[in-house]
Amino acid sequence: MTPDRFEDHVWKDSVPEDLLQIYAPYQRETFVGPNPALLLIDLYNLAYQGGPVPPLELQDSYPSSCGIYAHRAIAPTRRLIAAARAATIPIFYCTSDLAPMAAPSDISATRRRMSPRSAGDFEIWHEFAPQEGDVIIRKQRASIFAGTPLISHLNRLGVQSVFVCGESTSGCVRASSVDAYSNGLKVTLVEECTYDRHGLIHKINLFDLHHKYADVMEVDEVIDQMPGLNT
Amino acid sequence: MTDRIWDQYLTERDKAVFSASGFGATADWGKRPALLVIDVNYAFCDEKPVPILESIKTWRTSCGEDAWEAMPVLQRLIGICRGKGVPVIYTTGTRRPDNWDSGSWSWKNSRRSEDAAPKATSHGRDGNDIIAEIAPAPQDLVVLKQKPSGFAGTPLQSYLQLLGCDSVIVTGTTTSGCVRATVLDAFSLNYRVTVVEDGCFDRAQASHAINLCDMHAKYANVYHSDVVAEHLQGLREGMFELPSGAGLTAQAAE
Repeated sequence: MTPDRFEDHVWKDSVPEDLLQIYAPYQRETFVGPNPALLLIDLYNLAYQGGPVPPLELQDSYPSSCGIYAHRAIAPTRRLIAAARAATIPIFYCTSDLAPMAAPSDISATRRRMSPRSAGDFEIWHEFAPQEGDVIIRKQRASIFAGTPLISHLNRLGVQSVFVCGESTSGCVRASSVDAYSNGLKVTLVEECTYDRHGLIHKINLFDLHHKYADVMEVDEVIDQMPGLNT
Repeated sequence: MTDRIWDQYLTERDKAVFSASGFGATADWGKRPALLVIDVNYAFCDEKPVPILESIKTWRTSCGEDAWEAMPVLQRLIGICRGKGVPVIYTTGTRRPDNWDSGSWSWKNSRRSEDAAPKATSHGRDGNDIIAEIAPAPQDLVVLKQKPSGFAGTPLQSYLQLLGCDSVIVTGTTTSGCVRATVLDAFSLNYRVTVVEDGCFDRAQASHAINLCDMHAKYANVYHSDVVAEHLQGLREGMFELPSGAGLTAQAAE
């Protein structure tokens, strides 16, 4: 996307003019990088529990759900995954490492108070079922890179850029995006496929990431520029 | 297989085990290498070739004359890489003047306290300065580190990623310490690894040979510099977007 549309994103109605002026030097053209991999962050059942309703209504029954925000992202995420498969782009899922005795009891991805877990909570949501050849990374912390072999896999595949999406924008998506950037990878965040529990948190974190570490792009534009699809 | 430098240290059983268990197979070179020059600084080399037992009186970590035997090898490989536009990445140590950050280094050497007093070469250089004979050029990269591996707590992985490297060719010192640690981390990160036999050195000859043996068995192709030079000569020129070096002072030896 051309520099004049740099702020033409979901945060547009929430960011005040003086902040935009302070962040003007970040303005640039956004684009998809070479040799990409797709990173699908924490697309597990817990995020979808309770259905497409505001997360506040799920606070007691399903406190980890992103409700309506998770469900709204399903259709674009399915399109993104389908395009990546068609382009034979390597696909990496991640979810919580639940291996018995793998971590002390106080180790987790956030400081959030947790409700009791049941089997299947951290299975990938059925509409994004991993296929043969995909890779599932089991992690204990927020970033998909922290304490995992991901960077070794990316190196072996010659990956130079990543498409990141999933949840939550402020937590694991942000941590994974910053680590990808720190490892020298070009990062594209797919706007409609990324979500959080509240619109404001989502917008401000996307704003931060877009200006400093990643190119936030719409799913149509990402698919349009996806190497291997249109050449 | 021709004789290798480590053969004299192996028992007949060792040789039989290596050949029967399949270790030491020849791995692929990779297509986009970087040359790594590990810790070839004054603290490890002294200022000129001095017999090691003499040299370590001044520089306790010196590898003595063996360091200087490797110097022409390094010059040759660095020259070829610069000519081809292949990245040359140096590592060397960095430390606070009060030595607080030596951390675990202070646990295994009885002369460590000497480091509390700053030591300089006769031309006033720091022990961590890279030897002038192989000084970095403006387009080269220098990674400062505090631990054995060039990857530990440094941006090295991100540099290799930015350059699009799929492999590393490792030289420098010590074979048993920082070279091996760097080789191991490169291997763990899925980079193809070549170790230049005569481009590495150590203060202990047996350690040098056996560590080359171990690395060749499991993690790397250990080759003589003639083989590595021939391979590098066969690479296409200008494969990499190297740093421009703008704003840096040329200090490379002519």
